[in-house]
Amino acid sequence: MDYRNAFAISASGMSVEKLRLDVTAANLANIHSGKKVDGTMFQPMQVISGEAQAGFSTQFEQLSGAELHGAQVVGVTTTPTEPHMVYQPGNPDADDKGFVTETGVNQVTEMVNMASALRAYEANVVAMNAAKTMALKALELGGS
Amino acid sequence: MVQKTEAVTNAMLKMALDAASLNHQAIANNIANINTQGYAPVRVSFEEQMDSIRETLEEGGKVKSDMLSGIQPVLVRGQPLVGDGDRTTELDMETAKLAENTVHYEALLKVVGMRMSMVNSAIREGK
Repeated sequence: MDYRNAFAISASGMSVEKLRLDVTAANLANIHSGKKVDGTMFQPMQVISGEAQAGFSTQFEQLSGAELHGAQVVGVTTTPTEPHMVYQPGNPDADDKGFVTETGVNQVTEMVNMASALRAYEANVVAMNAAKTMALKALELGGS
Repeated sequence: MVQKTEAVTNAMLKMALDAASLNHQAIANNIANINTQGYAPVRVSFEEQMDSIRETLEEGGKVKSDMLSGIQPVLVRGQPLVGDGDRTTELDMETAKLAENTVHYEALLKVVGMRMSMVNSAIREGK
């Protein structure tokens, strides 16, 4: 059993889901952020992931049938969202009506993304543990 | 004579172990891409290739080693599922398949171990 590839596949999935969790945390951390110093607003981010393709060095491995490489991060994009207005007359950033603009991070969306990333991460851990169990069982062959 | 019949069983066991190992990688790949949009899940084609051998055994025939020549576990790429949302593979189904595959692999290893102990017993003249 080529357990190294099995571990690599699960590890790639784990790293993608970890980044998703990091990005969700960053979005949640900025949930009440107002304008930045340069006047722009924080835009909620989103991880785009795709299936990992073989690099040049691993092209040769495809001949031996190892053509699965797990997942990879394609990019992190920002999703333009409408900022919402909060009534805070005492805030120095408030406009003449007393409203402050805050980022349009949707708390519900972020919590759902977080739960989904967490479950996906756990599933990858389960797959990796299964690979470990299988490899260790194979090592016991001819032992007793 | 013994060697010839043993060779077919050993070759089949080896292929079945390879298939289970590849199947694990396919399932792990599906799980790793659980949030990938437009991902086409992979599976392993092996057991359907063994149908002819199963039929031969059911009819009371003997399996010859040349019957195994074209059989090899291969990866098959499925169609990307178009469902609601961006989910293309089902996490619970993949986890269930993973658990089943692990048990299957361990069962195969047990058979290999039992065959080994049989040979061992023959070497020790049944003592």
